[in-house]
Amino acid sequence: MNQFDPERLRVFLRNHVTEKLASQGREAPKELGDDCDLLLSGMIDSLGLLELMTAFQEHCGCEIDFDALDPEQMTVVGPLCDFVSSQMARG
Amino acid sequence: MNSEPLESSTIDRQPFIMRRSLWTGFIRSSDTFPERPALSAQGKILTYRELRDLACRIAATIQSHPQYSSTPLTAVFAYRSPVAFAGVLGSLLSGNGYVPLNNTFPLERTRAMLDRSDCRSIVVDAESLPQLQTLLAGIQTSLLILIPEVDECRTLQEQWPIHHFIGLRDFDGTETWREPAASDNSTAYLLFTSGSTGTPKGVVVAQRNVISFVDYMVERYQINENDRLSQTFDMTFDLSAFDMFVCWERGALLCCPSRKALINPGKFMRDMELTIWFSVPSTIAFMKQLGALKRGNYPSLRLSLFCGEPLPVSSAQSWLEAAPNSVLENLYGPTELTIACTLYRWNAASSSRESELGIVPIGYPYPGMSVLVADQNLNEVPPGGEGELLMTGPQMSLGYWKDPEKTAAAFVIPPGKTDIYYRTGDRVRRPVDRGPLTHLGRIDFQVKVMGHRVELGEIEAIVRDATGFDGTVAVGWPPTPSGYGGVEVFVEGTASDPEAVRRSVACRLPDYMVPRRFHFMGQLPRNVNGKFDRKAILNLLEGGL
Repeated sequence: MNQFDPERLRVFLRNHVTEKLASQGREAPKELGDDCDLLLSGMIDSLGLLELMTAFQEHCGCEIDFDALDPEQMTVVGPLCDFVSSQMARG
Repeated sequence: MNSEPLESSTIDRQPFIMRRSLWTGFIRSSDTFPERPALSAQGKILTYRELRDLACRIAATIQSHPQYSSTPLTAVFAYRSPVAFAGVLGSLLSGNGYVPLNNTFPLERTRAMLDRSDCRSIVVDAESLPQLQTLLAGIQTSLLILIPEVDECRTLQEQWPIHHFIGLRDFDGTETWREPAASDNSTAYLLFTSGSTGTPKGVVVAQRNVISFVDYMVERYQINENDRLSQTFDMTFDLSAFDMFVCWERGALLCCPSRKALINPGKFMRDMELTIWFSVPSTIAFMKQLGALKRGNYPSLRLSLFCGEPLPVSSAQSWLEAAPNSVLENLYGPTELTIACTLYRWNAASSSRESELGIVPIGYPYPGMSVLVADQNLNEVPPGGEGELLMTGPQMSLGYWKDPEKTAAAFVIPPGKTDIYYRTGDRVRRPVDRGPLTHLGRIDFQVKVMGHRVELGEIEAIVRDATGFDGTVAVGWPPTPSGYGGVEVFVEGTASDPEAVRRSVACRLPDYMVPRRFHFMGQLPRNVNGKFDRKAILNLLEGGL
């Protein structure tokens, strides 16, 4: 299992979101399910989304082309992590 | 014969001859192009005929309830839905101005807007219905409530006997709509902007203000029925009025993305094959980060407009690489001067040279608008000098809703002038010769957060109220090329329950104004005059606090 495995990316995303919420004095939800929409649930805004994408790129050590991701899925935990993982697998 | 200097706008101050209303262009387009698409929203396409039918039924229903007409305004509580747009047109067709309400704002703010507007009628879309229930709990006056997406409202009516609910089945027919009489100062819309005292300010914009703007825009950009315009702005942001009225004036298609689709504007642009794009410049930086500004990505665009915050030169250049067939213009204007009142066309050969501080110039005033760049005493500065931008002309709004004091403070007659000018609070450089105006920043503590105008004083007032601590300083942070990414607050004191403070502040402010962090400190930095030292506070943040 490499570090870009979808499951590991979920852990990374969860930590990132928890950290961001904590810095705003907010508590993260206990569960961050695959169908959780980070935008619609109010956990991140568009600036928060950019921070998350930057964090992913730093974590993966390369640029990720998020333009290819369907906007409906861009802020949903499961599809987002799977997308990043598949981009890394393609090299 | 005409020896009036250009600065004087006596011509514009003549009584305006009302040839038509703001809705006239839409009705004419719906006569000319009844089967062409007028609106794409929530995955639905409405033709001009369909949108007109719904709007006329809304208008006729408002007109047939004259007991709810004590204020000539109708609220539209709807978000990016066909009902939102039909509600705007319906209000205008009934003879009222519209007051946009936003279901993504905290309910308390929405209620304050509704309260202050004195609206007696309101159009609500299905998505805002759950919030309507809570909203009504604080409303004491009887309202006429139109809900086009439900047939009948028996349950709601029983629950709220004080109000009068009407579902689509009981709307009046289009044939009963009567053309309203237009007067000189018929209202187009009442919009609330951030106010420094903690309560939002209502700006009253007249139909003649918007007509003057729209007339120039459709001619300058040669809008036609084959155009497809973006609608990126929420209706609570006055730039949305450009999209709607410029589009419908010439039979074009208005394309409104959902909240989710806005997250990837590039895909929306390609899917809808937009010809005209209009957004805040922040969108460019956002798309750049997403990797969405690849060379030649958006060949369908013939026109790209940006407004609402400073446009960085680098953003303009990146955009044009992705939209090579597009003309790019930077628009500038506060709500009080109706949407935009100066503009600048990007020119690859000369624009970098004309830009200052890496920001694209705001350019030249719209026809009929006069510029005054003035010092603290409102005396004009010499060419090349810096000062506050004041403007007057046909787009100058009527002032603040039921607030003569604030109106008198911002709408002033400068020494030696005879006309009323609006003080924008923006610092600009007065051009030398025929050069463009350049924007240098704000003269007060108003900042731009993701394109939204924010009075830091308003946030401070609300945080003070929530904590009980007077020592409160809000600052924009982190800096972005065109303003700030958000707001952070410093409070002198300790909170026993910081999370409760955050919650209480968050339910009174829209998302972009909610402080991203609260810093409770024993003592805040002060300067020699004993005032809070904003610069020292910013230094703390720069130091990585």
